[in-house]
Amino acid sequence: MKITMTHGSGGKATSDLIANIFAKHFQNPVLAKMEDSAVVPGAATLAITTDSFVVTPLFFNGGDIGKLAVCGTVNDLAVSGAVPKYLTCGFILEEGAETEDLEKIAVSMAETAEEAGVVIVAGDTKVVEGSGGIYINTSGVGFLADSCCVSAANCAEGDAVLLSGNLGDHHAAILSARMNIANTIQSDCAPLNDMTAALMKSGVRVKAMRDVTRGGLATVLNEFAAASQCCILLNEERIPVSEQVRGFCGILGLDPLYMGNEGKMVAVVAGEDAQKALNCMKNCKYGENAAVIGEVASGEAETVLLNTLIGGIRILTELYGEGLPRIC
Amino acid sequence: MNELKKYLKDYDGPPLNIMEVCGTHTAEISHCGIPGLLSENIHLISGPGCPVCVTVTDYIDKLTELSLAPGITVVTFGDMLRVMGKNQSLNDVKALGGQVRMVYSPMDTLKFAAADKTKTFVFAAVGFETTTPVYVMLLNEAIKHGITNIKILTSLKTMPAVIDWVCENQGNIDGFLAPGHVSTITGSDIFIPLAEKYQLPFAVAGFGGEQILEALYALVKCRGKAKVMNLYPSVVTAKGNEAAQEMVKKYFVPCDAAWRGIGVIAGSGMILRDEYAAFDAGSAELTADHIHNPKCRCAQVLTGAIKPTQCPLFGTECTPQAQQGACMVSTEGSCYNYFVNKRKA
Amino acid sequence: MCVAMPGKVLAVNENIAAVDFSGNIVEAQADLVSVEPGDYVLVHAGFILQKLSQEEGDTLAELFREIESYE
Repeated sequence: MKITMTHGSGGKATSDLIANIFAKHFQNPVLAKMEDSAVVPGAATLAITTDSFVVTPLFFNGGDIGKLAVCGTVNDLAVSGAVPKYLTCGFILEEGAETEDLEKIAVSMAETAEEAGVVIVAGDTKVVEGSGGIYINTSGVGFLADSCCVSAANCAEGDAVLLSGNLGDHHAAILSARMNIANTIQSDCAPLNDMTAALMKSGVRVKAMRDVTRGGLATVLNEFAAASQCCILLNEERIPVSEQVRGFCGILGLDPLYMGNEGKMVAVVAGEDAQKALNCMKNCKYGENAAVIGEVASGEAETVLLNTLIGGIRILTELYGEGLPRIC
Repeated sequence: MNELKKYLKDYDGPPLNIMEVCGTHTAEISHCGIPGLLSENIHLISGPGCPVCVTVTDYIDKLTELSLAPGITVVTFGDMLRVMGKNQSLNDVKALGGQVRMVYSPMDTLKFAAADKTKTFVFAAVGFETTTPVYVMLLNEAIKHGITNIKILTSLKTMPAVIDWVCENQGNIDGFLAPGHVSTITGSDIFIPLAEKYQLPFAVAGFGGEQILEALYALVKCRGKAKVMNLYPSVVTAKGNEAAQEMVKKYFVPCDAAWRGIGVIAGSGMILRDEYAAFDAGSAELTADHIHNPKCRCAQVLTGAIKPTQCPLFGTECTPQAQQGACMVSTEGSCYNYFVNKRKA
Repeated sequence: MCVAMPGKVLAVNENIAAVDFSGNIVEAQADLVSVEPGDYVLVHAGFILQKLSQEEGDTLAELFREIESYE
């Protein structure tokens, strides 16, 4: 079977590929949990993760591939409840890539790493034949308090579902650049570790967290619903999307619920702590549009439902198909 | 709006089958959760309003053949890439070296043609009345700028003939949610002869949840009456965009067209006039349709005879990742729509 | 396929109009409909298909009044 673009969409095809090839052969109990970072015992409890970045264009409104490479890995550690500390980065450069661009990317990575409080401690560079492409892999390590227990499998009836801000900005920014649609949409690319640390310290009972990347909000919540065997019910009117992104989606027939973000997270918290969690998020740098968007309800397990604007109910499945061109 | 919703939910008159002809309406109905807001006596049926879904395998085979021919590049909208011809899709031939480019606007073809005069660029011109004027403009611009290395392969279809076929051969439809953007070009009056012939109501609807509910309300209220109602008057008029219609007539004539699942319907398509034959890439006589899986029921789904969920392959052998028929391939296809929204009704 | 959305014309230069959709500016061809800045238009596959009129309110009210009387 040939690899097609659909395998990179972040939806069902991707999860099937991982299950059928990688998970099948790399079997171990840590990997089997399929969380955003692997939490392993050691002298301290570590979270470890890796991610590769292949976006084009390399530079876009609101960021670049370097900033993405740092934020993506930092966020995967952060939403596992860890304090991100160390990153590695490997570069694969195609012949013809510009050193000026590489330098801009390196500067961006250094700035983002500083904001996130992480250091890049190891790296590698390879060059291959090609036409000037630049690809980056970052791996990250973070530390967890022993008491920390954040997992997609923890959601329970009565819990509240929070989203840290507007959906779709990153995906729209990338596509706008590709399709020559003029707007002021910026990628939301940002490190979320301050927000996750604040939540963990605030006394809120945090059940699960995930950053909302490829596949979108709908795919992430389906992962929670499956891992926790629960039913999640969302309110469409509470889900924040900027007017410009709405307009953008309208032109192209896209759905913000399935679009990728690079600076947004979803958190499931104990119901009674919803307001506290919301205030906490809103007080953080990237949380001004945070909202309580739904709850874990009684209902069919492994199901995500949406109360639509006209009062109907829509079932939200994970993303099927390609979604859209490479965005991260 | 609340009274309207209450009426639709509480309706306990005779069971009604309402057909939505346009794929975009089907998608919107699912996205708003409309089926759950209706009485059990109001049934929504998706019709043949997805141009990709009703394209026959002969057309795809012609495209793949062209893409593999030296000096020719096929240019297309995204949805066509995955549709199977007899043995392969455009995506398949792309992997074998076929020249295929995806665009969001057909006008990009002009840019490609101007940039590379050694190649001929063939646009896969598929669509209903909404999109035909766009292809007209593509040719108009090509002629205006003296660009001769562009052709189109057409699979252009028109609504009234297929609606007539469904009423004639299927029956059991009590009203039509008429396509909003097709009507922008054609005008809502084109449905009058059909309404009168079959004594059925037609409601031209916009694409918001409330607009669709209003149209459904009107159709239920007007059951049994020959009536064409325009509930999208901000955009649709009785006569439509007459300038666009004239342009279409200048370049195209009606022809017989082959519809997947139905066969050939007389006068249901459009083809380039003889004087513009130089721009045609071989659109005539593309009528055969190869069925890949004998259990595939796309034919019955497209005409509304059965729901996607009633096809034996739906959700098991046929999913968006392992598509058996065109209704699952296109994002406007009924089966794709029912599957990704887990729709039952 | 019939994805089309209403936007506002910002400027027209010969047959190309700049159309604004909630802050997204797209170029659309105005060959099929003549438009002016300030018009609201429906755009499909890079073309303006129609100008939006103010018709909605009254026409629909009248229609609903009529069908109200049916069962």
